[in-house]
Amino acid sequence: MGHSGVARESVPEIRVTDAEFERFRDYFYRKTGIRFEDSKRYFVDKRLIQRMRQVGHEGFREYFAFVRFQASGKEFQELVNLMTVNETYFFREEYQLKCMVNALMGEVLHHKRSGETVRIWSVPCSTGEEPYSIALYLLEFWDRIDEVDVEIVASDIDTQALEKARAGVFSRRSVSHLPPWILKKYFEPLAGGYHRLCDDLRASVDFRRVNLCDPRDTRGMRDFDVIFCRNLLIYFDEASQRRAAETLYDALNPGGFVLLGHSESMSRITSLFKVRRFEDAIVYQKPL
Amino acid sequence: MGLVKRAEHRAAPSRPHIRKYGRDLQGLLAQLHDDQAKARRWAARDLAAHTEAVSALCERLQVEPDPTVREAIFGSLLTIGTEAVAEGLIPLLRGEDAGLRNGAVEILQQLPDAVGHRIAALLADSDPDVRIFAVDILQDLAHPDAPAWMLAVVEADEHVNVVTTAIDRLAEVGTPEMVPAIQAVKDRFPNEPFVGFAVDTALKRILGNG
Repeated sequence: MGHSGVARESVPEIRVTDAEFERFRDYFYRKTGIRFEDSKRYFVDKRLIQRMRQVGHEGFREYFAFVRFQASGKEFQELVNLMTVNETYFFREEYQLKCMVNALMGEVLHHKRSGETVRIWSVPCSTGEEPYSIALYLLEFWDRIDEVDVEIVASDIDTQALEKARAGVFSRRSVSHLPPWILKKYFEPLAGGYHRLCDDLRASVDFRRVNLCDPRDTRGMRDFDVIFCRNLLIYFDEASQRRAAETLYDALNPGGFVLLGHSESMSRITSLFKVRRFEDAIVYQKPL
Repeated sequence: MGLVKRAEHRAAPSRPHIRKYGRDLQGLLAQLHDDQAKARRWAARDLAAHTEAVSALCERLQVEPDPTVREAIFGSLLTIGTEAVAEGLIPLLRGEDAGLRNGAVEILQQLPDAVGHRIAALLADSDPDVRIFAVDILQDLAHPDAPAWMLAVVEADEHVNVVTTAIDRLAEVGTPEMVPAIQAVKDRFPNEPFVGFAVDTALKRILGNG
């Protein structure tokens, strides 16, 4: 009896009540535009409790006050890093990459002056698989890559994901959809089934920390011709989707394209964009 | 040709447009009044690099008809983020334009150092609308005194809308120690049915039983 009591006291149980979950959910939504459904409760609680333990808070209330009023905002960023899902792999939704090289790049060039750089933004880029896939696809499957400068900017809200992206080391699962010859040509095998992307390709993507819902971050994101924004808006509610859509609109040159995830539709969010149906994919275009 | 490398990005940011105007401070300030909204917008954006431009940006906000230019001005003011920005934006809280007021609140929320020492004056303003906007600023101000300021509003402000706004905000950050003060609001405004609802809702959140 005494022994078990001591054991309980030495490792205090931390719980997040329903009301505390609601508080956190509302706050997190207000700050990021990401809303957790009730089905995500376990996922959210687990991560909140993990952070409380790490920073030495035994209750939600004091921890939440710490998050809310910390001037640096570092702890909130830690939570964002933990709460955002980073599942991705090379050549995911490859039909859109095909569309990029088969149709979009040609249209983009048609409206550019000779020698002008084409700019592509991958958001959210997570651990880098998407922007590197774009780079690989352009190098291997776009026959005009030697004639044109292409700049690839990749951003994510998660600074840890960005560090991994810059490091360019990927698991076996992450590269499993790549053709073996591409794997051989651009990656160096490492122990444990990992693969390191070659330096040249890693240097071809400019990774930046950007919160799509924060105007301070997005105001510098301009003059893009193609934006990959896949499987992000689906986590936003209507108001946040509209704001994000306007941000993407502002970031594009006239005639520029946005590619969303397969389950997402810009038409349900805003009428700012024109729907374009290409052979490989449906894409949204900022009017010329 | 090919993929541009990161170092090249930094050395030569890809903006191949040929600049029509000078991009120095005087040129940008002049373009802030250009006939073309696009020129004004880019001027507003580039003025983010000039702390001296705060008053010009704030003045332009009050007459700027294009929402995309306003957005750029707010963005630049936030980037600059000085005391002068807070000083320039606070008068907008008294304006009739809801878009400008909301924009000002959003920027001020992000400037705890510049705004913190101005909060007491805002919360003591004779205009209850200004006091409500001050509470709105507190909602997202990363300042350790924010809950105490909101509690003081709950305890002392005489306008029911100001008090219920503060109660609503305290529902997120309030603590059990604040419960008596929040509960007492019902007695201060016995003829306002909404007060009871606001208090009960906040208490449920704070006490964790709702």
